[in-house]
Amino acid sequence: MMPAATPPLLEIRDLVVRYGEIEAVRGLSFSVGAGEVVTLLGSNGAGKSTTLKAISGLVRPAAGTILLEGKPLEGLKPEAIVRLGVAHVPEGRRVFPGLTVRENIMLGASNRSGLGKRALRDEVEAMFDLFPDIRRFGDALGWTLSGGQLQMVALARGLMAKPRILLLDEPSLGLAPVIVQAVFAIIAEVRRRGTTVLLVEQNARMGLSVADRGYVLETGRLVLSGDPESLWANDEIRSAYLGGRAKAEVLAAG
Amino acid sequence: MDLILQLLFTGIGIGSVYALVALGFVLIFRATNVVNFAQGEFSMVAAFLMVVFAVDLEWPYWLSLLLTIGGMALLGALFNLGVYYPLRHRSYLPVIISTIGASIFLANTTLALYGPQPQVLPPVFETQGFLLGPVFLDSQYLLIIAVTAALVAFQYWFFEHTLVGKKLQATSQDKEMAALLGIPVAGMIMLTFVYSAVLGGIAGILVAPVLFVSIQMGATIALKAFAATIIGGFGDVTGAIIGGLALGIIETFGAAYISVPYKDAFAFLVLIVFLVVRPQGLFGERVAEKA
Amino acid sequence: MSGTPSPVADPATAVPASPPAVRRRLPLGSLAYAVLAAALVAVAATTPLSGYALNILMQAATYAIAVIGLTVVLGLCGQINLAQAAFFGIGAYAVGLGTVDGGLNFWICLIVGLGLAVVLGAALGASTLRLGGHYLAMVTISFQQILTLVLTNWIPVTHGPDGVPNIRRPALFADGQSYLALCVLVLAIVGWLVWHMPRTRLGRAMRAVRDNELAAGVSGIDIYRTKVAAFAVGSLLAGLGGGLFAGSFTYISPDQFSFAESIVFLTMALLGGVGSPVGAVIGTALLILIPEWLRFLKEIPGLYLAIYGLAVILIVVFMPDGIWGFLGDQVRRLRRTRPAPPPAAELTLSQGEASTAPMLEVSDLSKHFGGLKAVDAVSFTVARGGIHALIGPNGSGKTTTLNVLSGLYSPTGGTVRLAGQDVTRLSPHRRAAAGIGRTFQNIRLFRSMSALENVVIGAERPNNPLGARDRAALEARARAALAFVGLEGRAEEPISGFSYGHQRLIEIARALAGNPVLLLLDEPAAGLNSSEKNALTVLLRRMAAKGLTILIIDHDMTLVSDVASHVTVLNFGRRIADGVTATVLREPAVIQAYLGEDAAAGPAASLKTDLAPV
Repeated sequence: MMPAATPPLLEIRDLVVRYGEIEAVRGLSFSVGAGEVVTLLGSNGAGKSTTLKAISGLVRPAAGTILLEGKPLEGLKPEAIVRLGVAHVPEGRRVFPGLTVRENIMLGASNRSGLGKRALRDEVEAMFDLFPDIRRFGDALGWTLSGGQLQMVALARGLMAKPRILLLDEPSLGLAPVIVQAVFAIIAEVRRRGTTVLLVEQNARMGLSVADRGYVLETGRLVLSGDPESLWANDEIRSAYLGGRAKAEVLAAG
Repeated sequence: MDLILQLLFTGIGIGSVYALVALGFVLIFRATNVVNFAQGEFSMVAAFLMVVFAVDLEWPYWLSLLLTIGGMALLGALFNLGVYYPLRHRSYLPVIISTIGASIFLANTTLALYGPQPQVLPPVFETQGFLLGPVFLDSQYLLIIAVTAALVAFQYWFFEHTLVGKKLQATSQDKEMAALLGIPVAGMIMLTFVYSAVLGGIAGILVAPVLFVSIQMGATIALKAFAATIIGGFGDVTGAIIGGLALGIIETFGAAYISVPYKDAFAFLVLIVFLVVRPQGLFGERVAEKA
Repeated sequence: MSGTPSPVADPATAVPASPPAVRRRLPLGSLAYAVLAAALVAVAATTPLSGYALNILMQAATYAIAVIGLTVVLGLCGQINLAQAAFFGIGAYAVGLGTVDGGLNFWICLIVGLGLAVVLGAALGASTLRLGGHYLAMVTISFQQILTLVLTNWIPVTHGPDGVPNIRRPALFADGQSYLALCVLVLAIVGWLVWHMPRTRLGRAMRAVRDNELAAGVSGIDIYRTKVAAFAVGSLLAGLGGGLFAGSFTYISPDQFSFAESIVFLTMALLGGVGSPVGAVIGTALLILIPEWLRFLKEIPGLYLAIYGLAVILIVVFMPDGIWGFLGDQVRRLRRTRPAPPPAAELTLSQGEASTAPMLEVSDLSKHFGGLKAVDAVSFTVARGGIHALIGPNGSGKTTTLNVLSGLYSPTGGTVRLAGQDVTRLSPHRRAAAGIGRTFQNIRLFRSMSALENVVIGAERPNNPLGARDRAALEARARAALAFVGLEGRAEEPISGFSYGHQRLIEIARALAGNPVLLLLDEPAAGLNSSEKNALTVLLRRMAAKGLTILIIDHDMTLVSDVASHVTVLNFGRRIADGVTATVLREPAVIQAYLGEDAAAGPAASLKTDLAPV
């Protein structure tokens, strides 16, 4: 499903991100085409979340380029990047605890200008059509919601930005399996409506279930890429999560 | 009984002033996690500005009021840029010390420019007040209570019913997430400082006719505002208001029944007691963060 | 490689010039200092000075003593104290009222003042049990204001705003010059004591609390007692300065001990450099002498203090380490090369009697945060000796469990037993005393100290059967621990000079120096590259070979399967597997936890359900 001729919507080239001395991302390159859902997989500490943060401007890359339709994003502030159409739904949801669900979703449109009060309200109500399960929580404060409800609110808030690309960081984190199903059903619907999504997931099965393509990261580097079926069948994906891959190296080093 | 009612009225009146200053103080804390030790000086500077415009220059009251409030907005902006902004990534200790330095600087610059003599700002109304049953309602105190009520109502409306108010709330709850949504965080913080300075200034203008306008008034008011926020629960807006009123009442009754010169000590004693016994105040953590 | 000096950022952490092996000889530095101090005292006593100059110098000397008090509480221990002038006043009024109204001997009054200052200072320090940061600042300001109110209003006792005139000096020092000499002598002694304080056990504890409170606690330091001690010492010195001050001016009044004076003390400390008594003296001297030269500033009331206020802001923003902090680095570079220390002995770990009983028993442990059950009735045991791993996907509750085990969280339910002893409710430093050592995922070292000092703190943990009070033995043990992790040669270097991987090793050495019976390692492989991970694996095996029991959390499954003989797996706060590593890692439940569930019937058709399970 990869568009051959048109340039990718998002292009990452030789990205390097450091936290102090630690290199969290070491020379990562990949791309996302318009309308695609691409999943980044890997165990904890592989550098997946850091990659998203570099794209949305929360951290500054040490080296490399990030291009959104050819326009460089490195060095821009998050407020500017979201205005260009990159919406980041961060790890842990981060729904504003003291604001209601409606208010949270409304603030998702903060990157767009010229939106009237009535139009904004209408858009929020329309959003509830995609998230019917949280409609009845419209006036509930953020801190009263459960993990799954928070994930829905965060997703809705992200979509309000009418993004060119949606960055989703570990939506399944801390959620019970049945809730994860519901969340990913919505992600599938979002995908069906044509939104480009870059998804980061530790849960490989769910992450690949909605993807057009996937990449596997290990300690900041790209180690595997391909379509979901072949990735899943690949033994190496198991090693990347459960060890064994580098065992040969250790034995050789003695 | 008559005395109690009278004291109650006075207590609420002075408590409203503390509530206003506490409000500005809490807003800054919620938005930036900074405890602004110079908050009281905002009140003091505003009172002096009013004296300069309305008494020395004899300009009309409404004009002086406008100029003073404008001046306070400017002061808030400068404070943000000069004291908070350079230290926004440092730990709490340099910031506390810096705001203390700012408070000393503001107080003593005023002293240097104006001189040590306490000044008098005449009350707004010609009539001193009127009798309602056994209680004498001083006109200035009535004004204080009315303006405070109006400001609290305005603030409630602003935060709950305007988009900018929501964006301000979002900024104080999670700065980084607000930035990710496109909310201009630096602008929101600037707005917070400007608004808090104006709140403090209005408090100073209101209370000036009741006390003398002196260099020390800022420090005294500030510490009482701190006590108010501690009583109410640090960081809680409603708590600050209730704490301010409560403190005003405690202090007034204490001065009448126990001792006048140690009146100011009550605020500090209450502060210490609360800090030691119940640091989260009466209302504690109103908004529980989801773990 | 050994013994090469390197610049230490904080001059207060200077290590003594004499190596531990040569204890018989008097330290050269101290001897030189004593000579210099004696010379100054003699000069003060004999050089004819005008009354005016005398006053200035006496003020500078007594103020400096109070500012050195701030060096201890704020510089060494990192606790904010805005009431230093209040304690200065307590000392002054004790002497003033005692000699004038009570007719008592000067020295007795001074001692009473000191006692009062210490008691009140400790009480103020006691408030740190609940508070820190800006709350503490407010409590100290309140205390200061209350004292001013008392001094001004309690007229029958304090004379109120009139003050106390005609204070009598002690007979031996009645003359201005000799009194100045006395002040200089006291300043010299206080300066020397505080200069050496950072290297005492208490001083190290204070610096550890300042640098990283959490790490200090798990290393066995009683954080609360340390803070109270810091406040007590700080206020003792302020009281001492105040008492001498009263004798120097022979007249005191409340406005000399107000909040503004506390700010003046603070500014002096910040300007000179809050980390060292040298900075305190520099700051005091500058801020007393400069205004004298610029006396015209005092003519406009408020201008003087306005500049003070501005100076505070500018110093905090642009020169946070103060003048001495900046110069101290340069002085550091001039120090002579130290002779090489003797080669470190092999690290010994005492593991107590051999026994088949488990080292750690966790029973039904729960930790709830409001409605969230981060840890839900988890039970497992860790056998004596060897390495046991606690693993699980992100959010499974492993780190929370570790934090409960080391005492940073108190459990909602369940018990924790260490070698049979119930440690469930113990504070972190008591658990350290019981023999639990720990490292942190995000490396918590004491950044102002050298590697050696960090590890010495670990060695000082209470109840260490292999520990010692003797400085030489402590250092020897610390060096042995550093040698064990391969960093002995760089023991004197500051932490900032080490790579991330090496810092991780120093943290392990610090825990090992405490001779733990159970070592908790929180993601030790985090941030390490593959060669560093290999080295870590080897190190862990060597530690286990010494009989140490290790509980490790990590995400790196290669590391885990290489070093851990047993593993416990958590998911959603519950235990889902426990047993021999190789077996557990093949269990379907474990694989599912990491790679994802088999898709149950889902609503959306686009979910691919035909992916084959493992």
